[in-house]
Amino acid sequence: MKISIGDVALPGDYCEEICEVAEKSKVIIGPGLRKEADRVYITKPGVLKKRSPCTYWVDSYQKRYVPSRGENIIGVVVQKAGDIFRVDVGGSITAALSYLSFEGATKKNRPEVQVGDVVYAKMLVASKDMEPELVCVDSHGKKGRLGVLTDGFVFKCSLNLIRKILNPSCPLLESLKNEWPFEVAAGMNGRIWIKANSMRETIAVGNAILGAEYLNDEEIKTMCNNIAAILAGHVS
Amino acid sequence: MGVEDENNFKLRPMKCELNYLSKSDGSAILAQGETVVLVSVNGPLDIKSNSQSIEKATLEVLFCGKGGKPSVADRFKENVIKQTCETAILGCLYPRTGISLTIQELEDYGGLLTCTVNCACLALLNSGMAMRHMVAAISCAVNEVGNLVLEPSYEQVQSSRALLHFVFESREKNLVTGFTEGSFSEDTYEEALARCRLASELVFDFYRDIVRKYSNVI
Repeated sequence: MKISIGDVALPGDYCEEICEVAEKSKVIIGPGLRKEADRVYITKPGVLKKRSPCTYWVDSYQKRYVPSRGENIIGVVVQKAGDIFRVDVGGSITAALSYLSFEGATKKNRPEVQVGDVVYAKMLVASKDMEPELVCVDSHGKKGRLGVLTDGFVFKCSLNLIRKILNPSCPLLESLKNEWPFEVAAGMNGRIWIKANSMRETIAVGNAILGAEYLNDEEIKTMCNNIAAILAGHVS
Repeated sequence: MGVEDENNFKLRPMKCELNYLSKSDGSAILAQGETVVLVSVNGPLDIKSNSQSIEKATLEVLFCGKGGKPSVADRFKENVIKQTCETAILGCLYPRTGISLTIQELEDYGGLLTCTVNCACLALLNSGMAMRHMVAAISCAVNEVGNLVLEPSYEQVQSSRALLHFVFESREKNLVTGFTEGSFSEDTYEEALARCRLASELVFDFYRDIVRKYSNVI
């Protein structure tokens, strides 16, 4: 079936608008789209979106992570093998994280990472034919926000919830951050790490995030206010 | 139920819930009339290296009947579903991985196999697996007097002379899978095929309605 931007897209549908634009300029087709011979076909169910000038993708529901280059993820170190750490990222195979890809690490000065540690890392290599590779430094050799996450609490959620809360227009973190202090790291692989001052506050952040999955912006604001009120002890 | 005339028909009422299981990557429960099936999809995940394929994902289908005892008929169903889903899934995007499809029969009042194929398609849609196209299965029975009955009920299946199942894809409505039981003429087959192809449109519309319902909030 032929569809256009903003429509509900299902696998097997095609979009002619993309092909028309592609004749004049370069287009970028993102997740859920696939070029076959003369047409661009949809491969995932969701909504066909466009960002000017010519980037197209399908917003779909997904729980299983498929590694993709440049994404920040939260992984768990499962094995130390020689000069690499094997990190479980939730994909089909573990990702490799070299011990040299930490800030200030040298052959002599190894980073302190143990099996079971949670790391916030960036996907450097991710292709369907190769083992994914992670780094904990940026291109300047600085760690930035990447590295081992100490303390805190990790939980899993669907991939589109991560995209939703990281969206700059999402009011969730914006309204929670004024209520009480906490740290949060969201991995594109559907894992969220939270650290707050008390267990009560940690659970409150976790519930707020999980509760936001099927709510719209207004409902999210109301929910955040409710949780804040309960936490502050105004309502029991 | 059944066929009134060629362009005016309706299928048995379909009811569906996606994400029925919280832990699996994709799941769906589908009721077509009184037949109910639950399907769970997991993957792409790591599998034993001797069953890995370097060019595409390996699909594993497990069918559990109501009785729980595996039988030869179940193996046949698994095979039909496996081959149907293999054409639908873009396995080449996930080489050296495995995709497992677990099916639990809950109620069987006729048309179990069509319900299973449709439910498997919904579960795959829910899992966000890349797919070439969707699939819709329609069954058709030839009754004692030789008339065609679309989506037959349990009694109609029992008394039918022949039973035809067709699976269509969503792009060009081409036939993906077809299997038949009993004896019938070639003309009957052609007519049943044409009618089922028309009816498959309703199933695809049903899929679209479901996706439309949740897509505005994710």
